[in-house]
Amino acid sequence: MKLLTHNMLSSNIKGVANGFPLRIEVEKATEKQVELNAGFLRNVFPMIEWKALVDAAQLPEVADSSMLDSDFLNKFHHALLELHLEKDALVCPETARRFPVSQGTPNMLLLEDEV
Amino acid sequence: MLYNVLRVIRCFYQSQHACSVLTIAHSLRQSGIFSTMREVNIKGASGLCTLVSDGQSEIPQSVSDSENMGKSFFSVQSTPEIEKKYVHHVYDAIAPHFSSTRFAKWPKVATFLSSLPSGSLVLDAGCGNGKYLGLNPDCFFIGCDISAPLIKICADRGHEVLVADAINLPYRTDFGDAAISIAVLHHLSTEIRRKRAIEELVRVVKKGGLVLITVWAVEQEDRSLLAKWTPLSEKYVEEWIGPGSPLARSPSSLPLESIPENEDNGSRDHIEDSMEKMHETPHLTSESKYDSLSLKHEKNTKNQQEYFVPWHLPYHRAEVSGASACALANGLAKKDDKKGAVVYNRYYHVFSEGELERLASGIDNAVIVDQFYDKSNWCIILEKIL
Repeated sequence: MKLLTHNMLSSNIKGVANGFPLRIEVEKATEKQVELNAGFLRNVFPMIEWKALVDAAQLPEVADSSMLDSDFLNKFHHALLELHLEKDALVCPETARRFPVSQGTPNMLLLEDEV
Repeated sequence: MLYNVLRVIRCFYQSQHACSVLTIAHSLRQSGIFSTMREVNIKGASGLCTLVSDGQSEIPQSVSDSENMGKSFFSVQSTPEIEKKYVHHVYDAIAPHFSSTRFAKWPKVATFLSSLPSGSLVLDAGCGNGKYLGLNPDCFFIGCDISAPLIKICADRGHEVLVADAINLPYRTDFGDAAISIAVLHHLSTEIRRKRAIEELVRVVKKGGLVLITVWAVEQEDRSLLAKWTPLSEKYVEEWIGPGSPLARSPSSLPLESIPENEDNGSRDHIEDSMEKMHETPHLTSESKYDSLSLKHEKNTKNQQEYFVPWHLPYHRAEVSGASACALANGLAKKDDKKGAVVYNRYYHVFSEGELERLASGIDNAVIVDQFYDKSNWCIILEKIL
């Protein structure tokens, strides 16, 4: 799972007011090289909840789109798309329910009593 | 009447709360608590709105929906038994074989994806084996499917995917640039769930974002295919819808044998999907024997939209997936020694002309920008406007 995906995922358990961001408990993480697409990075930047990405990866605490020059772009690209969480848990910020991530794939299915 | 009232409310209050109104209305309808609505307190509205309703909705509904509203409360997000048994479990069992037959890219979907602006984030809800993920190399794709085995196939191919329910996408609102739902909604057994799935697709894209939906049509180009399908009477659909239904408590009480089946024709083989048939020439067989059967079937299926569509899983494939032994024991699948395959049934609600348009028209924050029929599928493109 890339941090881009983590930045989009939200716990939608019944009764949860704000299920974002899911807290990450990492067990295994890898890095995979991904070709940099500046157009995509510039397009997706406004959608990113920066604090959630900062907490998940090592990035400057404050960022805005004027910073999207080559050096920062590389760091953003690396954090967003090249860090790969293989095995961990995504924890609902309100209910502490754990959504498992195994072999890089999160399972966000809810149980019967959670819908 | 319900929707007319909601339109009044929406015009009266700020349009940004339209989504809240629809959400609340859905919850109310689902709850079964109200037979008469007295007051609805709408979140964010400047005051209370008083509604009086006789509890009757003028929205056209299938019989199964009316039944659901009268039943005790369950969420639209709870998966009905018919979908668990005849969609989820089936795809889980047939995943590798199914994936091997899913390689042809449907041109209309490819065109849609290729025409998206470079750098778009595309969400594929019900991505199956990931056939369309990465089709446009200038876009980034995230796929999800309810079937973990299918998602594993996608992940093994290097795609960014997750296991999730299209009725309840675990995505933040307004995130993606586009979303696609290719041959998914026809596996949802109630109108409310089908509409909810469309709402979710619209929710997760940003304003101006596009949504492409394709579903199997009642009006199949190859009419002889219908003879291969098992039409389901409404009785079966109703009984299998709710988690509280008698069948959910004792699933063995309705073995597969008791569902009436069409005469099986041994000359038809390997044709599982009317769409794929156009692309997979080796699997075509001649159909002259079928003409009289299909005509007779057509007379009976004028208004029929609920079907079991068979999937033949060859024995050597079935052994790879241990799920088949279980399915055979539970009566969810049958052996066909003549064909050397385990036969599963997939539940389909095929769409009639205008049905997809009607569902989508009821969504206030999106407009239809294109709709068409192509190779036995009804298709629609929506644009999110709010």
